[in-house]
Amino acid sequence: MLWITGVLYSVLNSKSFYLDPGSGSFLIQLLIAGAAAVTIAVASQWGRIRRLLGKKKANPEQGDDEDDDDEQEPKA
Amino acid sequence: MTTSKSQKLSASFRDPSGFLFTRDGVLYRQVNQAYAADYARLMDSGLYAKLVKAGLLVPHVEAGGPAGKEKPFPPADPATAFKVLRPERIPFISYPYEWSFGQLKDAALATLSIQRRALKAGMSLKDASAYNIQFYQGKPALIDTLSFEEYREGEPWVAYRQFCQHFLAPLALMALRDVRLSQLLRVYIDGVPLDLAASLLPARSRWSLGLYTHLHLHARAQKRYAEVAVKEARAGRRMSRQALLGLIESLRDTVRKLEWKPAGTEWADYYEDNNYTDSAFQHKLSLIEDWLAKIQPKLVWDLGANTGLFSRPAAALGAYAVAFDIDPAAVEQDYRLVKANKETLLLPLVLDLTNPSPALGWHNRERAALGERGPADAVLALALIHHLAIANNVPLERAAEFFADMGAYLIIEFVPKSDSQVQRLLRSREDIFPDYTRPGFEAAFCTRFEIQSASDVRDSERRVYLMKRK
Repeated sequence: MLWITGVLYSVLNSKSFYLDPGSGSFLIQLLIAGAAAVTIAVASQWGRIRRLLGKKKANPEQGDDEDDDDEQEPKA
Repeated sequence: MTTSKSQKLSASFRDPSGFLFTRDGVLYRQVNQAYAADYARLMDSGLYAKLVKAGLLVPHVEAGGPAGKEKPFPPADPATAFKVLRPERIPFISYPYEWSFGQLKDAALATLSIQRRALKAGMSLKDASAYNIQFYQGKPALIDTLSFEEYREGEPWVAYRQFCQHFLAPLALMALRDVRLSQLLRVYIDGVPLDLAASLLPARSRWSLGLYTHLHLHARAQKRYAEVAVKEARAGRRMSRQALLGLIESLRDTVRKLEWKPAGTEWADYYEDNNYTDSAFQHKLSLIEDWLAKIQPKLVWDLGANTGLFSRPAAALGAYAVAFDIDPAAVEQDYRLVKANKETLLLPLVLDLTNPSPALGWHNRERAALGERGPADAVLALALIHHLAIANNVPLERAAEFFADMGAYLIIEFVPKSDSQVQRLLRSREDIFPDYTRPGFEAAFCTRFEIQSASDVRDSERRVYLMKRK
């Protein structure tokens, strides 16, 4: 996992939070986010391989095109 | 310029970046010097403009006028002030415990969409409070302009815990256990504690990877590391931008998969099973439309609105209509109509009139009671009085007193005992309501109101009234 093998040098910083982020919440999101990043990377590579093999057209949902993301409502 | 008295809003105290205040009835937001750099980044990065264009952030103007032509505008607290903003005002502030499932879900997705866009602009949401979202022109939008901070590569999402407590936990409980569990948000002001959510969720929730990790594992991690400082627990681990985007994507996927269908609840078939013929319904509708056109209200509260059949004529006249109903299924259906029709002047909300939203939070001053958010210009109380007077034993004088507190005009329907809906209520109980008659109703309401107009509804035994508060 990325978070385990990740760089361990300190980024402990002077930033202060007005919310309590919670120690457990910080740790669990490192775990989930690491796994999610791997999944996304694999999915994007998989999509690329499939496209290379001509099996599938580019899937817009997997692109990096959040600028026009509109999960609430389709635009008129 | 003489400065009128500024009044700080009592809900606006947690974040040292700034606060809300009113002056001469106008709402302002003071931005403190501590937030100057982040405010500049929000505006200069184009993030503000993009979010406003997408309808995800409530727009504001700088109170001193446009940059370069500013006139001095006295802040509420000059010692800490950087700027004063004048945000566009939301016609009616609502709270997550008043939202239907779909409203809370859309608010959650809006928050995640804002966070993704913020990350692209080099910023991040420093809080993810459901109370920072309001329904603006029919859609959920962030109202707190000061929620953004500079994103630093390597940092986890500081608002992750809050997002899970305010959005994911209640949504999962509503979808998988019981939709009425949204009311836990009324008890827990900072969202549903995750250990409580985990213990209430059915075992099958663990089969969802998203719910298992974001709620069940998250709750266990909170317990295990409760006594450990954040820096210690983190031990220097970094979270890449890609990983953070992965986290947001995972949350989005988990929220999207939660579904709740409004079916089989008490009002779902009301309009197919009531005392109205088509002509009676049309007559009632036309009477109400005529009266609304006459009184020209700006804010209408439709109490017991069902799916908003009578709120829509008010919105069509340009009023902002808040459609309250006790039934989450009716409110959900109403909200789906709002979305489908892209209605901007209608806000459906869940409310139990026999126990309306109280004042909550610190000093009981963070979240306003229903009455504090009024008065409305007009209140609609159609096919409602029998539920209050007979099902809930409210004396008619007390009902009149309540309505007089809520609005200046009242459009109310009297449903007599002979009506099958009242008979249904009386079927299981003794009739201890000798005053529940038309003369008794009129006498009680005349203590608070002047009857301006009244009409029997054609082909029915019901009567509707237009009343004005004395």
